[in-house]
Amino acid sequence: MTGEVEAEGLTKDFRTFQRKEGIRGAIENLFVRQYQTVRAVDAVSFHIRPGEMVGYIGPNGAGKSTTVKMLTGILEPTAGRAAANGYVPYRDRTRYTRTIGAVFGQRTQLWWDIAVVESFRLLQRIYDVSDADYAARMEIFDQVLKIKRYLNTPVRKLSLGERMRCDLAASLLHNPPLLFLDEPTIGLDVVAKTNVRQFLKEVNARFGTTMLLTTHDLADIEELCRRLMIIDHGRVLFDGALAELKRQLWRHLQVKIELKEPAQAPALESLGANSIFRERLDELTYRLTFDRSEHSAGEVIRRIVAAVDVRDIFIQEEPIEEIVRRIYTGPSVLEIGR
Amino acid sequence: MKRYLSLLGEYFLQYAKVRLAYKGDFLISVFTTLVATAFGLGLVLILFRRVPHLADWTFYEILFLYGFSLLPLSLFNVVSINLYYFGDVYIIQGKFDRILLRPIHSLFQILSEQFRLEALSDSVIGLSIVLYATRRLNLTFGPADWLFLAFAALCGFLIYVSVFVMLTCVSFWMEDRVGVIPPVYSMLAFGRYPLKIYNVFLQFLLSWIIPFAFATFYPSAHLLRHVEYRPYLFLLPVVTLLFAGLSLALWNRGVENYSSTGS
Repeated sequence: MTGEVEAEGLTKDFRTFQRKEGIRGAIENLFVRQYQTVRAVDAVSFHIRPGEMVGYIGPNGAGKSTTVKMLTGILEPTAGRAAANGYVPYRDRTRYTRTIGAVFGQRTQLWWDIAVVESFRLLQRIYDVSDADYAARMEIFDQVLKIKRYLNTPVRKLSLGERMRCDLAASLLHNPPLLFLDEPTIGLDVVAKTNVRQFLKEVNARFGTTMLLTTHDLADIEELCRRLMIIDHGRVLFDGALAELKRQLWRHLQVKIELKEPAQAPALESLGANSIFRERLDELTYRLTFDRSEHSAGEVIRRIVAAVDVRDIFIQEEPIEEIVRRIYTGPSVLEIGR
Repeated sequence: MKRYLSLLGEYFLQYAKVRLAYKGDFLISVFTTLVATAFGLGLVLILFRRVPHLADWTFYEILFLYGFSLLPLSLFNVVSINLYYFGDVYIIQGKFDRILLRPIHSLFQILSEQFRLEALSDSVIGLSIVLYATRRLNLTFGPADWLFLAFAALCGFLIYVSVFVMLTCVSFWMEDRVGVIPPVYSMLAFGRYPLKIYNVFLQFLLSWIIPFAFATFYPSAHLLRHVEYRPYLFLLPVVTLLFAGLSLALWNRGVENYSSTGS
């Protein structure tokens, strides 16, 4: 029972095979193969203490999943060192996997055709969980997840949200000190997302489970993690407190508006003048981005409504891709939070 | 080992439940398996009625061999489906990651993912043919003979699994969907006839490279009291263990390659 994770210079290269096109290319492929090495994770180092909940975020293809695969023992690092729960994940995989849980939002780990409870029973055997522990944990999980009502349903008949709840319970049946979550809320509706987050928080509070979660949804991070790491092109760009990120980089809100008449577009120009960044998406749709510390959302919306006739309005925080872009283009923030 | 056996039972029970949940589907598969075997048997009967002897083997001896060959084959067919689609489902679609996250050996998980229970109906047919042929041949089998028959069928099953596991391992290095399994799978039929009808090259191939003759022919020859094949009898456990060991080692190498390349 440790729940501690350490990575030092963790690196992973993939060698991809360049296929040539056409019939001639296909024949050439048989004899001459050209490979290209891609560095998916580049000398990543961090230390996660027992009981911490850490968000691991970045754009698609940034190296999040590859890092998780190295930490769960699926992939062997090309260079560097990883240690978790006192094991070297790749080398001691069979023993190590008994001490971790893993949830992949895109894939279920349950057996597709059999009832949920049968999958749980199989996992109980695989992880040698005693009947008493099994019953006690199911009771606790059910309090938040409310899974008992579909225990007898085959997994293929569950909705995505129901399946996710079952997957979460399944990953924690053996009460691992360390849990990896890869996009745990992807594709879920708001109610299900809230439920999943609440559950993770309770598990963390009750069992002190260390959690590392990758996500696209910054709301996950805001709800769950005090600390986050941002990764792009295989490198950690930011490792620190969420509050720090918000103060330094994550200050912008985006307002997307749809006009009633294209003719009104020029009236928007007066808004763009003082530090409200305006983009035209099409002749009726515009996106305004502004710094929360300079303008309040209410003030901006009041000014929009005063200037133009709005058919629709939509407010959101900047997506992670924008924050990553700001890290690259902005002042030297690389050391923030370190 | 004990843990794996009890887990095997558990996996098997779960899958049996699934199959029995789709009753219609299950009954149809049992039926088609029986029909396929009946056709195969019919072909043997028609062919060998016309040729009463084949390489010194009488009609009922050939029938016995055919019946016996169904035993390891039907056992193998209970799990073979898992290997057939391995490259496609696990490597190309990436389901293998999930397998590596569980604290039991990956090959065990792959082999016990699905069980085609209906394949066992062939065992019933095979055993009936064996019984019928022994009666017509006036052979009396003692408990030792039956014990050997069961042991040999189990060895044959392990030989088949080992050969096809090794072929499946190709998927760890090469990206292909079905690969080399189908042509070798059709070679299983070679084991149904006396080895002597084949040329020297095939005899060597079937004994030492792809040892299907050890799964069917040599044990049958022993049970039919063809003493000239006795030396092979003692090689049966050796060949079985050797191939099982080789396939397990190759599989583990494949998993290592998967972990270092991620494909």
